[in-house]
Amino acid sequence: MKPADRQVLIERVVSAHRALDPLERLKSEPAFHDLDEAGRREAYELALTTRRLEAALDEAGLSSTGWAVLKRITER
Amino acid sequence: MDLDVHLAAIGAGDTQAFARWVAGAEPSVRASLARFAAQVDVEVVVQEALLRAWQFAPRVQCDGKPNCLLRFSVRAARNLAIDEVRHRRREVLRVPIDEELPVAPVEPDPLLRRAVEECRKQLPENPSRALLARVEAQGLESDAQIAERLGMKLNTLLKNFGRARQFLLECLERRGVHLSGELSA
Repeated sequence: MKPADRQVLIERVVSAHRALDPLERLKSEPAFHDLDEAGRREAYELALTTRRLEAALDEAGLSSTGWAVLKRITER
Repeated sequence: MDLDVHLAAIGAGDTQAFARWVAGAEPSVRASLARFAAQVDVEVVVQEALLRAWQFAPRVQCDGKPNCLLRFSVRAARNLAIDEVRHRRREVLRVPIDEELPVAPVEPDPLLRRAVEECRKQLPENPSRALLARVEAQGLESDAQIAERLGMKLNTLLKNFGRARQFLLECLERRGVHLSGELSA
């Protein structure tokens, strides 16, 4: 895998967006399964940093993960 | 900091109180899953565990120690991750049930917020657009949808997002804010 392709997969895993299955359970990001263990760990570390930055940029102090969860409870 | 100050309101269905709780709790829940990072999609587990906190808040039995709901969520996250590993590997993971699960709620940090905002203003145009679009999407739009909205190719969006994050981290480092080290410590 080219480094650029690997980085794209990692960024997809870092995103907080996850599709729902028919039972409204979150599905794993497909790119997660295309990464090796080192890539998955790298995505995890980048997500830690990314969520902190997102929260700092948000008026309510919420990351994109926090907003995604809130959206799910308010739409139920 | 005891996030249980929000517990009664959350139990009564106050979503604003839950938002304040999530802002402080999410980093601990995510950090608690480091050992599973190579085996499960941690983002899914974090979101499901936070959702369970909302669902179970009215019924959580507190033990008098701080951060009762957060500790419940960290346990829920760990159990969800173990279930996922078992489901995929069909094997038993040995994790001590009574293991102490540390929690460290995050408090609002106005200095960090100001530093990040000032660094964000210095971002080149396309990384800035990618970063803001993902923040505005609030985890509800796929990257493909965001890319289409911005008129970028998907890979270009993702590369710009990575550049934006790197730029912000380097800018923060120059200001003496070491976010990466702080999070992995």
